[in-house]
Amino acid sequence: MNVVELQNISKSFDSHVAVDDLSLNVPRGSTYGFIGPNGSGKTTTLRMIMNIFYPDRGAIRVFGEPLGGGVSDRIGYLPEERGLYKKMKVREVLRFYGELKSGRTVDREVDRWLERLDLTAWADKKVEALSKGMAQKVQFIATVVSNPELILLDEPFTGLDPVNADTIREAILQMRAAGTTVIFSTHDMSVAEKMCDFIFMIYRGRKVLDGTLDSIKHTYGRDTLRVRCAGGIAALHGLPGVEKINDFGRVQELRVAKTCDPQEILATIISRTRVESFEIATPSLHDIFVRIARPGPEENTHA
Amino acid sequence: MRKTLRVARREYLAAVKTKGFIIGLAIAPLFMSGSILAMLILKNRVDTTDQLAAIVDRSGIVAEALIQAAKTRNDEVVFDFETGRKMRPEYHFEVVTPNDEDPVAQRLALSDRVRSGELRAFIEIGRDVLHPQSASADTRIVYYSENSALDDLRRWIDNPINNYLRHKRLMAAGVDSIAVDKILAWYSSEGMGLVSVNKETGQVTDARRAGKLEAVGIPAGMAMLTYMMIMMGAIPLLSSVMEEKSQRIAEVLLGSIKPFEFMMGKVIGGIGVSLTSSSVYVISGVVAVSYLGFADYIPTHVIPWFFLYLILAIIMFGGINAALGAVCNDMKDAQNLTFPAMVPVILPLFVMVPVAKEPLTGFATVLSLIPPFVPTLMTLRMCTPVGIPAWQPWVALAGLLICTIGAIWAGGRIFRIGILMQGKAPTAANLLRWAIRG
Repeated sequence: MNVVELQNISKSFDSHVAVDDLSLNVPRGSTYGFIGPNGSGKTTTLRMIMNIFYPDRGAIRVFGEPLGGGVSDRIGYLPEERGLYKKMKVREVLRFYGELKSGRTVDREVDRWLERLDLTAWADKKVEALSKGMAQKVQFIATVVSNPELILLDEPFTGLDPVNADTIREAILQMRAAGTTVIFSTHDMSVAEKMCDFIFMIYRGRKVLDGTLDSIKHTYGRDTLRVRCAGGIAALHGLPGVEKINDFGRVQELRVAKTCDPQEILATIISRTRVESFEIATPSLHDIFVRIARPGPEENTHA
Repeated sequence: MRKTLRVARREYLAAVKTKGFIIGLAIAPLFMSGSILAMLILKNRVDTTDQLAAIVDRSGIVAEALIQAAKTRNDEVVFDFETGRKMRPEYHFEVVTPNDEDPVAQRLALSDRVRSGELRAFIEIGRDVLHPQSASADTRIVYYSENSALDDLRRWIDNPINNYLRHKRLMAAGVDSIAVDKILAWYSSEGMGLVSVNKETGQVTDARRAGKLEAVGIPAGMAMLTYMMIMMGAIPLLSSVMEEKSQRIAEVLLGSIKPFEFMMGKVIGGIGVSLTSSSVYVISGVVAVSYLGFADYIPTHVIPWFFLYLILAIIMFGGINAALGAVCNDMKDAQNLTFPAMVPVILPLFVMVPVAKEPLTGFATVLSLIPPFVPTLMTLRMCTPVGIPAWQPWVALAGLLICTIGAIWAGGRIFRIGILMQGKAPTAANLLRWAIRG
């Protein structure tokens, strides 16, 4: 069963088309990653699912029902930019958001989540006293404290240090294991690759990718060579059949033409330098993203 | 409704739990009563330095009379007989012989003496003041000083001079001295209310002495209270919503509640804040006035109307201010809109005195029926001792109700669009279009 169904939805702001004829189905219990360049329509789509924006055309169904009524009470929403009352105490603000959403007292859940995210000592401090990372964790708790069946997370890892990012990621994975459907947008392709069952990419308001990571990669084929060699990128210039090189420093990714034999390229590289590792692979999500978003020559392809 | 009330509860607690609210609640009446007390104390704080004036008496009869009158006054009113404290300045006069050859030079010399502080003023008495039928410069009484328009001394000399001249004229007409005193006897009128009858018992109630407290103090106090409560409950919603928008709290809330519920939650919170403060003030005001022995002056029949009008005013002004707050992006936008939003609340204060003095004029009636002015001016008119027609509070209520519904309807539409809009603040034309088209 699909938790979210978008049917040909469009949304414009004056002359700017933010979302154009978008259709998408999010299965129950899945983790769906929304990727796309800045301004491509990710946040607008999430806001339409939350019923904050109304689509100009098309239909949205969540839990099989049209939006409105009590549907949004079953959804937790973490906006891209965090919003907490600075003068309120952490526990108070979490109770407020939780009660607003669930209509019941959520004291036990608040305490449980504060303990889980190591914030118990800050429960009675005012929000303005928190660091940015702690405030982000509090905002995450505000999103999930009402035990929603679906959570929408807009850039949940932005600005978090690795420890806090791991904490939030583990919490998301545990919720998914408990049956919660998760939709999150991210610019971090490695996170999307590791966490998501499905990837959806929106570009200039239109859907350009939608499916499992394997199916997406399959459409591009095994056209990528991942090479580590002693000569570095200097040894790889001018290789016949190589269309593009992404230099990651110690590793280089070579995109090869479909007519070209990787074994021949390997032989050429060996003739130039000592090869430490060589892998014929599908392109990374990062590479696919860059191919679609077509960066200009001045944009950096380095990771 | 549950969500609206939850937002209202947060809003209310966020306002009343602050130290600023509690201190403000205590300070406002202290400040107001302190101001009145200061006025009463300072009223008797006059300059008691004796004042000397020169008299250039061309009539030859007034100067002596004025000196005698001043002597009597100095004996009677300058000192408080109980405390022995000097309360007012003594008045003294120096008679100066008129210089008819060069009156200008004499005026200049006397003016210099005034400027040097030796004299307070100098007075020229016309030659023919006793015979006013000859309207000429010779019948004038002219007072020269640095601030003659406001001098108490100038106001004081009129009475003894004219009293003396009338005496002289009557006696010249053959009236004897005792009869003159009777003829010139003077009585001031006493201000009283109207006699009324109790329809049930038929008992007639005597007229009550009309006091300034009843005529102006209580009506103005209630109008000021209405003004303060609107300023406290509705106007702050503009900056509060603007902050929630700029700090992205609004987007989090809109994930849980509809924009209209959000706005109404804030407005109901504002009503709670105003009702809390006004209840404290009304109860303490009633207790204080009763304690001072003026319980009869309390317009108890107005109190329910006051609260009814106040609630509607907070909804109306609160809805408008919340909508304006929703279209602001930063403090600068909010500052630009705060004053226009306050104008309809402030305007009635400018006409409070004429409306209190003449509550039944067309001017007062029309103004008090204009919906944004109803809470202040209709309450004020109802508090005056003059009975206003019974239909007027009801018509005012109907107008206020319609205007409130309109304000909430339009405010809700503007709020819904504005709260998530970023970038340049919209123009008045944009706001009107959003309000009409949604």
